[in-house]
Amino acid sequence: MKIATKPPRFATWLLETFGHPDTSEEVQGDLLELYDYWVETAGQQKADWRYSLNALKLLWPLAKQKRNEQYTTPFFLGPDMIRNYLTVAFRNLIRNKAFSAINITGLALGMASSLFILLWVQDERSVDAFHANGKYLYQVYERQQADGKTDASYTTQGLLADELKRVIPEVQYASSIQGNHITATAFEADDKLNKMDGTFASDDFFRMFSYPLLQGTPETALATPNGIAISRKMADYFFGSPEQAMGKAIRYENREDLMVAAVFENIPANSSQRFDFLRGWKAYVAQNDWVHNWSNTDPYTYIQLRADANPEAVEAKIKDFLYRYKPKNPSFVEELALQPYLETYLHSTLKNGRPEGGRIEYVRLFSVVGIFLLVIACINFMNLATARSAKRAKEVGVRKVVGAIRSALMGQFVGEAMLLTLFSMMLAMGLVALALPAFNNLTGKQLTLPFGQPVFWATLVGLLLTTGFLSGSYPAVFLSSLSPIRVLKGRLQFSPGAANFRKSLVVFQFGLSMLLIVGMLVMYRQMTYIQTKNLGYDRENLLYLPIEGDLTTKYNLFKSEASRLSGIVSVSRIRNSPTTIDHHTGDIRWVGKDQNQTVSMADVLVGYDFVKTMRLKLADGRDFSTDFGSDSVSYSGFLVNQAAVRKFGYKNPVGKPLWWGNNEGKIIGVLNDFHFSSMHQAIEPLVIRLDESKPFGTVLVRTEAGKTKEALASLEKTWQQLNPKFPFTYQFSDQEFARLYKSEQMVSQLANYFAVLAIFISCLGLFGLATFTAEQRTKEIGVRKVLGASVGSVVTLLSRDFLKPVLMAILITTPIGWYVMHKWLADFAYKVDLSWWIFALAGGLAVGIALLTVSFQSIKAALMNPVKSLRSE
Amino acid sequence: MKRAFLGEFEEVVLLTVAILDEEAYGVTVTQEIEQKTGRAVGFSTVHTTLQRLEEKGYLASRMGGATAERGGRRKRYFTVTAAGRKALAEVKQVREELWNALPPQTLQLMGG
Repeated sequence: MKIATKPPRFATWLLETFGHPDTSEEVQGDLLELYDYWVETAGQQKADWRYSLNALKLLWPLAKQKRNEQYTTPFFLGPDMIRNYLTVAFRNLIRNKAFSAINITGLALGMASSLFILLWVQDERSVDAFHANGKYLYQVYERQQADGKTDASYTTQGLLADELKRVIPEVQYASSIQGNHITATAFEADDKLNKMDGTFASDDFFRMFSYPLLQGTPETALATPNGIAISRKMADYFFGSPEQAMGKAIRYENREDLMVAAVFENIPANSSQRFDFLRGWKAYVAQNDWVHNWSNTDPYTYIQLRADANPEAVEAKIKDFLYRYKPKNPSFVEELALQPYLETYLHSTLKNGRPEGGRIEYVRLFSVVGIFLLVIACINFMNLATARSAKRAKEVGVRKVVGAIRSALMGQFVGEAMLLTLFSMMLAMGLVALALPAFNNLTGKQLTLPFGQPVFWATLVGLLLTTGFLSGSYPAVFLSSLSPIRVLKGRLQFSPGAANFRKSLVVFQFGLSMLLIVGMLVMYRQMTYIQTKNLGYDRENLLYLPIEGDLTTKYNLFKSEASRLSGIVSVSRIRNSPTTIDHHTGDIRWVGKDQNQTVSMADVLVGYDFVKTMRLKLADGRDFSTDFGSDSVSYSGFLVNQAAVRKFGYKNPVGKPLWWGNNEGKIIGVLNDFHFSSMHQAIEPLVIRLDESKPFGTVLVRTEAGKTKEALASLEKTWQQLNPKFPFTYQFSDQEFARLYKSEQMVSQLANYFAVLAIFISCLGLFGLATFTAEQRTKEIGVRKVLGASVGSVVTLLSRDFLKPVLMAILITTPIGWYVMHKWLADFAYKVDLSWWIFALAGGLAVGIALLTVSFQSIKAALMNPVKSLRSE
Repeated sequence: MKRAFLGEFEEVVLLTVAILDEEAYGVTVTQEIEQKTGRAVGFSTVHTTLQRLEEKGYLASRMGGATAERGGRRKRYFTVTAAGRKALAEVKQVREELWNALPPQTLQLMGG
């Protein structure tokens, strides 16, 4: 009788998969035959057991013949040697858990930060790189020379783009864009109402920039005054799909009906221009009379040169272009210049008449910080590896005696460093993946780990090799140089050179950390200074509401209704927003002005009670007020700031005449200077005019302190009565103000994190070194204690050695830190002093943290019972 | 002269292969050893030893024809090579010399 029993399937599978391939057939057959035999003689259970056991023993690694008939010639990269290197490396890692942990953690933190920075820098560099015509695109900026000073600005004349294209043959396309004020604008279609961000641009815009059109053509998208190009997002929202949106009507600000002439793909994240809709330039010109005057500037101008054009030649050609439209003026020279469009995102700060710096400075700064952190971590590794070389010296000696050549040993140690770096890198990747959302939040980006891109992997491998090599090279050179006789005969004597080198590494490490701490402190102080500086107006309890919908015609009603509500002090309006007044005019004249001179001044249109609502300080004169009937005549009265008065040279300015274009008026009040643009710039001359008729702008609402909530509730009610179609939206003035310094805020916060990381990694290294020294000097400490040394003196003895390099680092980095931060602050017109105590504080912090780190080990060593350390020899 | 080195178990396996003549393969060798020596031998041990002996040149092997049982898998048959026979002879000779060198009284004590 034969029972068809089958051996355990798992064991069979194991054997099939992992058995030695050369003999798998007969082994499987033999075992199967034996299995039947065992079932008959010993029972199924035993048979199963024996079968599985035998199968296991025959798995490939166990069954493999290890014996080689012929020994290969010894080769330091032979498989046996590599196996040996790995074994030794692992044993070392496991035996010194504390040191391995310090090394791996330090390196992982360093690498994670550099990875973050790398991702960020790559993202910054990729901005705007997607435009197909990118290398032919240029931004036109204006350079002005007056009073021996050269300035420049990106704002240009309203008709410049069209004229450049008409006159200069090398200009293939040209477009203006109202890039300064990309504002939320209300739209309505199909009973849906929402706000979208957008602006005006010229006909050529879509021909120049690579924003793919889903519907419509680049030629027609912006060609008509009542046409509008909208994004896919906007089309989906209002009409369901881009196809359905084409040709449909959409109501703009509740005052114009526009027709969708094109739908473009949503603007990619790495574009510096962001908008959901664009209107044609013809409509802009129709709404803005001032564009016909070539002294006024506001939009940006971009041109695309023909492929064969020479940019320098074009730049020379357009240098004096403006004088075709306005008279030449020797005391105020205006020139046009070109900046490649691809550079505009990173190099957008105009200084001394040309682009100098901008975000590129942050890119450079963080690249340097990333390298710093990596170097600090590598130094940890180098220091610990060399300091502990005494423990590996015997191994080196034995290897050398049995024939290892130096290069083989160096390869071994560098390889070990690589292995450790690999672990750290895996840890670092984990850290990055975990912390990426927080980092994105901080930087306002949408970074991801681009695992799909070969470039990313190449970068990782590059990072791995660099870090491994950097950290492993010095220990490798040092260890492989040991002489085997000396090492094997007795104890290893360190030359003072090696110890000095270690100390100088610590100096370097702490120097870098110090730099970062100083940077962190200065940035933090400057940011606090900006945020708490008296702006000249009260930014607390001030609300901004947009003028839109029915409000464009009912502003007066709204003002009188709202003023009566409880919790509201006063209401006024302004053309844009008080935090950024950047409209400029060269049209202001005064008595005694050089007729040939054009002076550019900031200008703004406001409503009644502006001074009262903003809580500005009047140096002289009065606010715009309905009590004076004369104010309602446009251009009859002007408010100016003190900077403007200084420019005019008026002694008693109130009542003095002023001309805006051809309109004459009088100065009715002088305001103390207040900040109406970023603190990077000094306060400019400002002329304020009353005009409540414009269908756009911002309502300013001053609320009573502590009653904001109440005021908002009642404001919303009033809003809904007067402007039912539009949702009630508002902004707080202080929040708007904070937005001005977003990038500085971000940099300051990142600097904080990186400084903390740097000092942490440095301290890890110091901790490791201290542990090692304490270990080495156990006997010495024991003897000292037996002879009567106190705990305090032992701690001092051990700590002193470590303080020296830290102090030296402070000495060296103070001037460097001063220089770097001085340059950073130079970008601000209003800034904090670089006082000595910042450096003292940073130094104190470094010393304190270093002491704390070291003292843990030294106290532990000093408290040890000398009997224990001296008993065993 | 390089002396042939045979471990005790190797010697047993080599002899068993010689005994089984044409019928020596993994299973038969294992069973034969079990029956003849009465000790439990793992198949894996036998297999590895056979491999090692082949490597040393004492055994030669060839694959048999397809079989009906054991899932159609072929058997690997082993035969003793000239070197194997020589090695066995040498071992035997050494043993005999050693036995012959035993003092007679010791031999008696052992019941020989």
